[in-house]
Amino acid sequence: MSEIAFFGAVEIGLVYALVALGVYLSFRVLDFPDLTVDGSFPLGAAVCATLLVAGVNPWAASLVAALAGSMAGLVTATLNVRFKILHLLASILTMIALFSVNLRVMGRPNVALLMQDTVLTPFYGLGLPDHVVRPLVVLVVVVVIVLLLARFLNSEFGLAMRATGVNARMARAQGVQTDFHIYAGMALSNGLCALAGALFAQTNGFADVTTGIGTIVVGLAAVIVGETVLPARAMLWALVGCVVGSILYRLAVQLALSADAIGLQASDLNLVTAVLVAVALILPRMRLKAASKKREAVR
Amino acid sequence: MITVNGIHVAFGRGTPLEKHALRGVDLTIPEGQFVTVIGSNGAGKSTFLGALAGDVIAEEGRIAIDGVDVTRWATPKRASLVARVFQDPMVGSCTALTIEENMALAAARGRRRGLGSALRGDRRRHFRERIAELGLGLENRLHDRMGLLSGGQRQAVSLLMATLAGSKILLLDEHTAALDPGTAEFVLGLTRRIVEENRLTTLMVTHSMRQALDYGDRTVMLHEGRIVLDVSGEQRAGLDVPHLLALFAKQRGGEDITDDSLLIG
Ligand SMILES: Nc1ncnc2c1ncn2[C@@H]1O[C@H](COP(=O)(O)OP(=O)(O)OP(=O)(O)O)[C@@H](O)[C@H]1O
Ligand SMILES: [Mg+2]
Repeated sequence: MSEIAFFGAVEIGLVYALVALGVYLSFRVLDFPDLTVDGSFPLGAAVCATLLVAGVNPWAASLVAALAGSMAGLVTATLNVRFKILHLLASILTMIALFSVNLRVMGRPNVALLMQDTVLTPFYGLGLPDHVVRPLVVLVVVVVIVLLLARFLNSEFGLAMRATGVNARMARAQGVQTDFHIYAGMALSNGLCALAGALFAQTNGFADVTTGIGTIVVGLAAVIVGETVLPARAMLWALVGCVVGSILYRLAVQLALSADAIGLQASDLNLVTAVLVAVALILPRMRLKAASKKREAVR
Repeated sequence: MITVNGIHVAFGRGTPLEKHALRGVDLTIPEGQFVTVIGSNGAGKSTFLGALAGDVIAEEGRIAIDGVDVTRWATPKRASLVARVFQDPMVGSCTALTIEENMALAAARGRRRGLGSALRGDRRRHFRERIAELGLGLENRLHDRMGLLSGGQRQAVSLLMATLAGSKILLLDEHTAALDPGTAEFVLGLTRRIVEENRLTTLMVTHSMRQALDYGDRTVMLHEGRIVLDVSGEQRAGLDVPHLLALFAKQRGGEDITDDSLLIG
């Protein structure tokens, strides 16, 4: 793997680390399987790119993109909490709707960012090569968000959100407005995914409606890899695990793609990821079965 | 004080499976009274406690706690007034969270939850002191996940959690049913101590006639969604288990029940 390819993989891994954090919030903290992210990631990219083309400040554009993602999360949460639509279905509805919304936002299937200033612009030309600057800037953003998120999840409010996902009945008996925490968590989760989309557009120089496909599976893969290499209980380390998982996942993909012997193409990525996630979900179950068989054999 | 006036609860209204679980329950419990609740399976005991806690909303009648009409309040809103311990130790706590996180969750019951740390140093110290009172050695296991505790330990912690934030009433729904006799005895003793120390208005559901008479100041029996027996004071002091069993049997249509053990669910 060349140096550029290595830094490229780390960069994309860091961008998707935000997706992994969002997926961790919905799937793990809230126990809410949410596919909205396939729509909120490109929504973030679309909103950010459109605003940048219109000359808006890059940080402001990224923030607005994140807010747009939060709205998408609120739509899914409303469909589920208020109108009792099954969470998976509710999130698929939002995801499909977002495909149209994203086309409307950009007015065309993709927008190129050529001359526009991005959050990266001020850091180019400070002596470091561009392919190192990009992951560094994203790293700083990710570190700040991980620290804030860990603080949040350890706060009284965040603890109540975790309880909502673990045992809603108990949480309600303790006075937790569980519905409200689902809204808040889903907004936060999709806000992070949209922010990832905004950073993706700025680091890659384009936004495209099709970039969202498979986002959820990539995010899940990162979460699962993270939990495997860093099986931590403490909140901060669980979040760091998501980030590490996302980077490792991208490095593994890059390795597989650059090994000509395997003959993989970039377009095979979704298939490979889906297989990886499926295996990761099946393995623990098989291990359980094997263990209980062994116990029976002993008896 | 709890005032319940003619509440009705029905499940599955308008379906073939309609179940009229509470059919006009009236009950006034003065401040600080400890009431034990008995009745056969399906009599409506859990539904009654659920109606007090807000899990089920009464379709008719009125419920007031300390003079505040809470009839239409949902569970989280009532939580500032109501503390409870569930029958199943899994239901009453978050097994995936640590003991101290569970305690922090309970300590904020009925309060606004902000962005400050849930486990600040002073709070940790307070939790450690409180859990040491149980005498179970749990003060050194605050970082353990709740799921690692035995059923009895978990019920003891759940009881403690019920007292971490102020409340007007304590609801115990067969909270010792899942425990072995020795542990049940311990948790019941703890219950009595905690109720007395905090002077809590308490309702305790039990299937044991012995416990129903030994604990608390008043015993009510529910049958088919109605209160059919309500004894306290001297009348109650004069009752023994065979008497109560006879009354119980009469309500069930004259079946002859001679042994308390039949009823321990
Ligand atoms: N959520 C529900 N949906 C439908 N029916 C219910 C529901 N909860 C309770 N019931 C019915 O209401 C009646 C009263 O149930 P409840 O759980 O209050 O009885 P209980 O006195 O607590 O009995 P047990 O001693 O078995 O715990 C029962 O017939 C029960 O089947
Ligand atoms: Mg019951």
